[in-house]
Amino acid sequence: MPRLDTLSEVQRRMLQMFPCMEHDDTPWAPMRKPLADSRVALVTSAGLHRRGDRPFITDHQSGGDNSYRVIPRGTPAADIIQSHVSIGFDHTSIYRDINVTFPIDRMEELREQGVIGSLADNNYSFMGALRDASRAAAETGPEVARRMLDEGVEVAFLTPT
Amino acid sequence: MLARCFEEAGISATGIVLVKEHAERTKPPRMLWVPYAFGNALGQAGDPLLQHQVLKAALDLLDAERGPVLEEFADAAEPEPLLQASEAQSSGSAKGLNPADELTSLRPYYERWVANNGGRTAVGVSGVPQRRFRGVVRFLEAYTAGEDADSPERPDGVGVPQFIRYCVDDLKAFYYEARMEQRPGVTGSEIHEWYWGETAMSALIVRLAEAMNQSDDPAVKAIPYGLAR
Repeated sequence: MPRLDTLSEVQRRMLQMFPCMEHDDTPWAPMRKPLADSRVALVTSAGLHRRGDRPFITDHQSGGDNSYRVIPRGTPAADIIQSHVSIGFDHTSIYRDINVTFPIDRMEELREQGVIGSLADNNYSFMGALRDASRAAAETGPEVARRMLDEGVEVAFLTPT
Repeated sequence: MLARCFEEAGISATGIVLVKEHAERTKPPRMLWVPYAFGNALGQAGDPLLQHQVLKAALDLLDAERGPVLEEFADAAEPEPLLQASEAQSSGSAKGLNPADELTSLRPYYERWVANNGGRTAVGVSGVPQRRFRGVVRFLEAYTAGEDADSPERPDGVGVPQFIRYCVDDLKAFYYEARMEQRPGVTGSEIHEWYWGETAMSALIVRLAEAMNQSDDPAVKAIPYGLAR
């Protein structure tokens, strides 16, 4: 993001006032083996999902849609759409190239190059811009963590909108 | 916040953040702060080289021995702020068309865009096939006019206000994709200014948002901010 002082007044105020969660500490899971031997999953907060899957909802009263969607590896870009609650960003980039937000092709390339050991069977998607992310923090986030553990994931790569 | 959940479960997390000030508050374990605009986390559409540079920089953070690590990705990019709908002076259709006819006039471009992009389109959130979008426009016009309007296309379990949001998102995606085909090389900001400043559709959406804002129903009132602001 450009520095806040370069943004429009509307966007700057929205970001400054955004009620994101605050923490003093940071949980830390050290790498257990080299990346070249590790399994990686993508997790995005760009509100993506498979075409035909249930879109995310606009749910301001409860602080936003804290649910998630599963996007299996190999899902063609043509079958991934976005139901993001925010209209305050340039959508044309993802219309042109899904990798600018959800780098599925780049990850396949990194696997082919041996930079990454393997890719997970599933990637995951949440809605961003949650004004109350407490349910994602307490329920849906840990649920996705458990699913990824079951799927042998060792590294999660997170991308925003 | 999600990164914290994953670390607590024993999964190493890294990735990209766009708002440094927020990451400083949530303290994720490893994050790369990039200087790009929302919607451009990996830099630029159609630039795999830059995307790989961003990915590598974020993956390199996995080598850190302790955190939190919030590293800046060095790029002099200074994205221009996106015009907000409320800042555009909508003049309606430059060609004097109503929204439905304007939409039909853009359909060849939209369909060519889809054909030239391997069938990929951002249209699809409402579930209504684009060939039936004129009916969607009639529904939105009736709703805006204060009629007790509904659409036969509305899926079970999706309320009218939420369905309106999905329809508006689809119409906007249709227009944006058509415009990218109509004017190759057009920037996102130029499309945004064209859509909000010169189209009959955006004028309808602005009126629709104003009508929904008048409602006393919280489920209705929650929607217009995401239609036009």
